[in-house]
Amino acid sequence: MTKSKASRAVRSANVRLAADIGGTFTDIAVFDDKSGRLSFGKALSTPQRLVDGISAGVEKAGSDYAAANLFLHGSTVAINTILERTGAKTALITTDGFRDVYEIGRINRPDAYNLFFQKHVPLIERALRFEVKERMRADGEVLIPLDEAGLIALGDHVAKIGMDAVAIMFINGYANPAHEARAKALLSKRHPNLFVTASHELSQEYREFERCSTAAANAYIGPKVHRYVGEIDRHIRSAGFKGSFLIVQSTGGLYESVQAQTQCVRMLESGPAAGVIGTQALCHTLGIKNAIAFDMGGTTAKAGVIYKGEALTTGAALIGGYDKALPVQIAMMDIFEVGTGGGSIARVEDGALRVGPQSAGAQPGPACYGHGGTEPTVTDANLVLGRLGADRFLGGEMKLDVKAAEQALARAGKPLGMNATQTADGILRIAATAMSYAVKGVTTERGLDAGDFVLVAYGGAGPLHATAVAREIGIRRIIIPGAPGVFSAFGMLFSDLRYDYVRTSLMALEDAPFDRIEKVFRELEQQGRDAIAATSVKPDQITVKRALDMRYVGQEHPVTVDLPMSVFAKKDRKGIKQHFDDDHLQRYGTSAPDERAEIVSLRVTVAGLMKKPPQERIKKGGSAPPKAAFTGKRPVSFGGKFRAAPTYSRAALLAGNKIAGPALIEEHASTTVLMPGDRMTVDAHGNLVIAAAGAK
Amino acid sequence: MAKKSAKKPTKRRKIDPVVTEIIRNGVIAVTEEMKTNLMRTAYNMIIYEALDFTTGLFTPEGETASIGIGLPTFIRGMAETVKAKIRHFGIKNMKPGDIYVTNDAYTTGSHLNHFTFTLPIFHKGKLAGFSCCMAHWLDVGGVLGGITTDIFSEGLQIPIVKYQDRGKVNQDLLDIIRMNVRLPPRAMGDLRAQVTAVKTGERRFLELLDRYGAQAVSDAIAEIMDRAEAAARARTRTIPDGVYEAESSLDDDGIEIGKRIPIKVKVIVKGDEMTIDLSDVSKQVRGFYNSAITTGYGCAQVAFKCITSPTDYPINDGAFRSLKVIIPPGRIVSATRPAPMRLWMCFPMTIIDTIFKALQPAIPDRVIAGHHADLVAPYFFGFNPKSSEVFIGTFGPLGGGWGAKKTEDGVSATVCLNDGDTHNGPNEQAEAKFPIVVERFELIPDSGGAGRHRGGLGIARTTRALSNMTINSQSDRSKCPPWGLDGGGDATGNAIAFRVGGQWKTEFPNAKVLSAQLKAEDAWRISSGGGGGYGTPFERPPEAVAEDVRQGYVSPKAAAELYGVVVDAKTFAVDKGATDKLRAAR
Repeated sequence: MTKSKASRAVRSANVRLAADIGGTFTDIAVFDDKSGRLSFGKALSTPQRLVDGISAGVEKAGSDYAAANLFLHGSTVAINTILERTGAKTALITTDGFRDVYEIGRINRPDAYNLFFQKHVPLIERALRFEVKERMRADGEVLIPLDEAGLIALGDHVAKIGMDAVAIMFINGYANPAHEARAKALLSKRHPNLFVTASHELSQEYREFERCSTAAANAYIGPKVHRYVGEIDRHIRSAGFKGSFLIVQSTGGLYESVQAQTQCVRMLESGPAAGVIGTQALCHTLGIKNAIAFDMGGTTAKAGVIYKGEALTTGAALIGGYDKALPVQIAMMDIFEVGTGGGSIARVEDGALRVGPQSAGAQPGPACYGHGGTEPTVTDANLVLGRLGADRFLGGEMKLDVKAAEQALARAGKPLGMNATQTADGILRIAATAMSYAVKGVTTERGLDAGDFVLVAYGGAGPLHATAVAREIGIRRIIIPGAPGVFSAFGMLFSDLRYDYVRTSLMALEDAPFDRIEKVFRELEQQGRDAIAATSVKPDQITVKRALDMRYVGQEHPVTVDLPMSVFAKKDRKGIKQHFDDDHLQRYGTSAPDERAEIVSLRVTVAGLMKKPPQERIKKGGSAPPKAAFTGKRPVSFGGKFRAAPTYSRAALLAGNKIAGPALIEEHASTTVLMPGDRMTVDAHGNLVIAAAGAK
Repeated sequence: MAKKSAKKPTKRRKIDPVVTEIIRNGVIAVTEEMKTNLMRTAYNMIIYEALDFTTGLFTPEGETASIGIGLPTFIRGMAETVKAKIRHFGIKNMKPGDIYVTNDAYTTGSHLNHFTFTLPIFHKGKLAGFSCCMAHWLDVGGVLGGITTDIFSEGLQIPIVKYQDRGKVNQDLLDIIRMNVRLPPRAMGDLRAQVTAVKTGERRFLELLDRYGAQAVSDAIAEIMDRAEAAARARTRTIPDGVYEAESSLDDDGIEIGKRIPIKVKVIVKGDEMTIDLSDVSKQVRGFYNSAITTGYGCAQVAFKCITSPTDYPINDGAFRSLKVIIPPGRIVSATRPAPMRLWMCFPMTIIDTIFKALQPAIPDRVIAGHHADLVAPYFFGFNPKSSEVFIGTFGPLGGGWGAKKTEDGVSATVCLNDGDTHNGPNEQAEAKFPIVVERFELIPDSGGAGRHRGGLGIARTTRALSNMTINSQSDRSKCPPWGLDGGGDATGNAIAFRVGGQWKTEFPNAKVLSAQLKAEDAWRISSGGGGGYGTPFERPPEAVAEDVRQGYVSPKAAAELYGVVVDAKTFAVDKGATDKLRAAR
């Protein structure tokens, strides 16, 4: 609507736009290749018509669709469709005798003493789960041929009863997908409007329940995601966009929007994954090898890992709470989450102060929002301790009610004999330890010591808590990137095209046939190259990475071992074994070099490397911050004592500026807390680099 | 009611509620991390998928500070094992770098497969507690297949000894173990995993001690235990005072086929205390279904926790201070040497269910009808012609139906009470490893007991042998099926059937078929029972019955006969007239 921008005469179309849609906000990051300029926009999400939020954000960032050649997008649409159960009318077709695999699941009862436990509820009810005669053996041999006539009759029935989508999962379909592929082809041909997913398209790993759940989830969200992506595509194109529309997957990699329309389940966690990619890009620029990506928002805190420069991924994830989770067996960023965020409510239960997992959300929100919330939250604690300024929240757009926060805190702390300040202090300490477990969760599981990592903190609440969380883990170096509130959108700008494939193929390492391994790898790699060729972008370079899931003979759980191409070229069994032993030792503290190993699955990641925007540099200054950056002093509590801490405006800080804690550095949607003894330096790119005091 | 209870906690320590909460989260995180490390490094599916293990942190006195489950009924076994080790060595003889081990069945209360490692944690030269890890080894020697009648035929027995003495590994012990188990590499792999777990516990607990100080941590743990006690007492007080009794029975001991085994329990509730008296459960039996007294205590504790503090964590001994357990020696859950114990976990589940049954009149909305109460996990072994190796195969527990409650239907296809976060083994994994093909894996319609709230459904798995093999099915509760409560119907029981030479044989006096010999192409079908119903089936809303018919959980025939609801098998509509008539006739 701002005319000056719309009327720019020459459209260079070399701008990349990134849009990250979250529950509350739509974040936009814009990078102009020509000018090298990076800008951001934040707008309220518009659930009724999400494209409106995107357009508002793009405008706020001072850009427009016509100027862009790349539109990168992450969205919660896929995950929300599952969590809110608003997907399509979906049927499941399985091998005869196995339709209940999806309902039986893994039979576990995590809350072992709770007689009122519940189990996962399938996305497809039993009445809509059908069976067809066919059977593969575990070695891929056909045991019973596919009953095509039966399948066609079933397809007609499914269409007749009004289904929009069908998932197909045949037993041992990972070993030989021929029946699944044939069944899909038959159904799709006869019912072109039916959204059909076969499990092998998403996963060629063993474990029938997980594969079934993955296929069912994809079919269930398919029609909606398909429509959603189509709508955005039409909208941006009608607004003049002529470039490539790519979507962020849960691995943080990109794929073509058309691919997202069929492999929908791959975009479940696109926003959080993009934040980790942003962290990786930051680390690359700063020469950091190992870092924790720490993202704290209103309801949760999440942690991902950069190890040796790579973002760590996992082969499966659980959607929903653990006890009722639906598994998804595809590559994803390995992200650990705890229910601690700015909105987490503190309560006294059984004589103990508990923080979360209940959240006040946006409504009623923390007590200090003045929207009717009466229970104290982490945000209220930050306000009462002076870490948030009542007049400076969201750049002063929203005034916070200190009195309301104090009252809520005092009320909560009373049974424990604690006043408002003590309660607030306790809440933040408990929250920090809880979040430190999220970080330890992702690292110790892999045998890594989080204390040796750099903590990169973002999300609205990340910078507020980063120095406290770092202390709990023993981390000494903390980085607050520029614009931490829109960091996921920023991260998208650094993403590459990426395709992950896996195929289970059990074999003993000592006599594993290298020609067969090579054949499978080549097949998977070719799929990746084909997928990249099918996109509308020309990547600078294509890279291929190979990994094997391996275990000692007799072990159940494999370890994914990243391997250099050379071991395959040289048919180097010893080298592969050595890599596996080393990884096992690293991860679990033990290894058994004398014992035999076996290969479980082959994994391939094919990436199409995209040109990356350079990390911007900011203006240089001296070690003392410019006068304009200093915005006053206010009492802030550290360790139970209030002391006057200076506040600074981040926007006015220059490269090379140094600030010693205690101090607060404020920006539009976030505040960085420097504790007493912390030393902060603004680096050349505007990142706040903090050396923590008193860390272990 | 709650007001009067507020017994002032003794003022012996300074309590910081914030540090207490941090330590509470901390000890849970320690035992969870021990669990994670064990699971990921274990060699056998029973640990990794079936989670047949328990990790724990204990006070210097051997009291449980936190348990990582694992195996819910092993709630007592580990603490008693830690205490036995304290008694055996004496605290002053424990040194940094020590790790103790035992698999003595009469100490752990369970079978010889449960190797239990304990590491004394020293902080600044002072004993600060213990980390401990029990895990189920796939094989510990002993006879394979069939039934055992004494402990000596069940495998290698390791008394309480040092696995590691001040940092030095006891190689002689390892050599003895290696020679006595069928799959030494796996046993050694599991052993390494367990040692990693107890060391993880040590490292993480020391971090807490360093960060907050030994006194603060110990005070916080004491406070957490006091609070757990107070919570348990408060919830016990909501149960009306009284003496509550119930009976049930088990099929048999696998030797005297068809001779029922009687269970009688008595629960006495008085004020904020509960006594569970197991004096009248059956005497120990000849077959391998016995367990030792720690499991008898475990039965009572599991039932008590389910009723009073089901979702409170960490699991700690404070929660059980107000529970008294009476159990003389020589019962099936307090068996004495040399009673055989290989299937130790089977009978206790029925005892726990019977405690719920006893309490039904007192707290009808907090108990549950009977469940399938068995692992339903046959194992099969033989020689794999493809790999030229001996194999011992299992799918892990089958899972089955759970009982209905006053307010909700029972849950289908879930692991029995003995196990918690236990996973089954994927069929595809078993087919890739063993010479078998799974023909069907399905819910069993009509297996759940009828009721105003219906019991959960059991599962059936039909497996075909591709080469000759021996099958051992050892399940109970076949002829004594899971019971309903308050007028709810019984479920179907656990069952085994065989197809030999193309002919199905389904009639057996129980579900214990030990050492059945199958040839290639023969098959077995193992079925788990459902859960009992709750409340009169005729009070179940007809629409709910019709929905069950539509989903195939209940057959139209059972809907009419058991629920008095006539449902059209095609449209699934309730025939209101016919239904009214049927229901009026009752």
